[in-house]
Amino acid sequence: MIKVLIIDDEVHVRKLYQEVLSREGYQVTAVGTGGEAFAALNESGYDLVILDIELENDSGLNILKQLKSSYPGLPIILNSAYAVYKADFHSWVADAYVLKSSDFKPLKDKIKELIHA
Amino acid sequence: MADLLKALASEERMTVLRSHFDDLPMGFFVTNCDGYVEYLNDEAAKLIGFESTLEAIGYSLYNVENIINCGLMDAFNSILTGRTFRKEELHCTNRQGHFAILNLYCSPHRGENGEIAGIFGIIQDVTESSKKKAELEEAIYELSIMSQVSEALSSTADLDDVVRIILTGVTANEGLGFNRAFLFLAKENEGYLEGKIAVGPTSPEEAGRIWSRLAGQKITLREMLNDYSQHENDSNSSLTTLIAGWRIPLDSSGAFSEAINLGRGIHVFAGEHTHRETTDILTRLGTESMAVAPIISKGRKLGLIAADNNITGKKISDSVVELLQTFANQTAVAIERSRLYDVQVERARELEEINRQLAESQDQIIRVEKMSVIGELTSSIAHELRNPLTVIGGFANLLVSTGQIDDAAEYLNIILSETHRAETVLHQVLDFSKASRARTRELQFNDLVVETHGLLLSKLRRDQAPPVLQLADENPHIWGNPEQLRHALYQFMLLTVEELTSECTIKMATATENRQVRLIIGFKGREPARAKVVTTLKQIFGNPTGTQKLSILVAGETLKYHGGDYGVEGSQDNLPRLYLELPRYTGGEND
Repeated sequence: MIKVLIIDDEVHVRKLYQEVLSREGYQVTAVGTGGEAFAALNESGYDLVILDIELENDSGLNILKQLKSSYPGLPIILNSAYAVYKADFHSWVADAYVLKSSDFKPLKDKIKELIHA
Repeated sequence: MADLLKALASEERMTVLRSHFDDLPMGFFVTNCDGYVEYLNDEAAKLIGFESTLEAIGYSLYNVENIINCGLMDAFNSILTGRTFRKEELHCTNRQGHFAILNLYCSPHRGENGEIAGIFGIIQDVTESSKKKAELEEAIYELSIMSQVSEALSSTADLDDVVRIILTGVTANEGLGFNRAFLFLAKENEGYLEGKIAVGPTSPEEAGRIWSRLAGQKITLREMLNDYSQHENDSNSSLTTLIAGWRIPLDSSGAFSEAINLGRGIHVFAGEHTHRETTDILTRLGTESMAVAPIISKGRKLGLIAADNNITGKKISDSVVELLQTFANQTAVAIERSRLYDVQVERARELEEINRQLAESQDQIIRVEKMSVIGELTSSIAHELRNPLTVIGGFANLLVSTGQIDDAAEYLNIILSETHRAETVLHQVLDFSKASRARTRELQFNDLVVETHGLLLSKLRRDQAPPVLQLADENPHIWGNPEQLRHALYQFMLLTVEELTSECTIKMATATENRQVRLIIGFKGREPARAKVVTTLKQIFGNPTGTQKLSILVAGETLKYHGGDYGVEGSQDNLPRLYLELPRYTGGEND
């Protein structure tokens, strides 16, 4: 089963994404910080990461840089309420950038595209 | 006098006359009624032009015109009718051809019975004192003209006025009294003198007319200036035409360069100054002699005044050349002051412009700061709303997708619909917020419209006909925030396209007016499309929906913030059209 790791500081968002993506047949783990994310990645391998940018005590772009350094082949989707980070050079190393929305189709499509790439 | 009369009546009168008048330092004479000289002293004999007193005895002064040639024949004869006369400063030429200025006092002398027996006359030579008096008057008048020139020059900073005052002073009959004066100004950087202006008559006939009108008038410089401006415009301008465009090198060996290099006035003669350039100048001006005086200030070569007497042929003295140099020095000061004044005026204008731009910039900064703060605020609010909306809508989606909520399905769909609407609003707000962070700069209006139109085309659905775009030939400049303006134009384009593209053809055209640039969104179609256009535009701009209202509000305020406006107006085919306008940018010259 394809394993997806979600990093978002909002508990309800984590819960929602777990529900939505589980129903799509993915094995989903959701964490709230960068530290928890690296712990999960060290413990078990993941096929894809969905990463929020504006985290409570951290920057998603910093985490992105570290993830790409430690796990170069791991697909990462930046998932933010902010469109402005699209123009930020540091976000360009992500494999995709999807705006948060109640419509999950864009996110689901992008996951499928990256998993099967 | 009684003793004298008695003596005259007596045999011894000659003895008495000699004793009284022989050594008198002025001329004295006595004639009989026929004008024959009975007595005259040595001084009178000398003044009248006799070799000795003896030669005069028996000579009739009735031939006075032949003797002192001063137009007194009638006056002299009138003495024999009992009158006296007193004439001063008579310009006379005596019988030996010597010129003198004389005072002449005559009265009849009477015999014992009171009858007129002859004429007493006193002749006084005042040639020297008259000359000195005339010189003194002339000097006073010159000083007066100089003083008036100084005063007139200090009252103006206009270069044309300055040169006119100077040249009028140079040619004033009792100023320097030159017939003509020419001013050449230096183009120092380019190394030549250029003919600027000239004053004076163009022909002897014209000079005669002018001088006879001014003859004997001790008029002030201001009056002369007025007189010149009233009467001599034509001649002055034709004389100016004579030298206009002349270019005389500053580094040649000609007389003009010589005067400038010497730094003082010189007298230029046709025979003495044989340099080809000098002879050319003299020939072209039709003169054989002229005075030239350089205009130099603090070592800077500003120009040169040339003046001549080509009409009267009056000799130019060294003292007049020196006086011309004094005028030139005054001219240098006046030109320098005039240039400084022009520089000051220009700097004042620049400072005013900088001040205006500064005030405008301050205003702009404040407005940009306000917009930026609003942008930041709306951005953070929008983002804070996006997460909860995502969660609400996301869970509603999940519930709907389970298919097990028949009773709640309607409500969940309402939640989804409203969530979608709220997300659309957020999207617009965030677009505006993003635009607020872009910097203002100079833009080309047509380019902005083309980009926005391109963006619109990429967003159109297949069933939406693309609006036609027509650009004005001119691509005017505007000043503004490109992102904000693109957003504003896009919102208006999108509103009309979404509502009307299925009804009619939409044409978007740019147009340039004097101070404004416009994007006009017009519509074409037959009934009932025409009615639909009217109704739709009324609805959009009269009673917009919530989403439309937000779009119009943000886009409209953006245009107004940039000094522009929008609205609906009538067109030639009676269909209303939408116009968006912005002020044309002219490189910092906008009011």
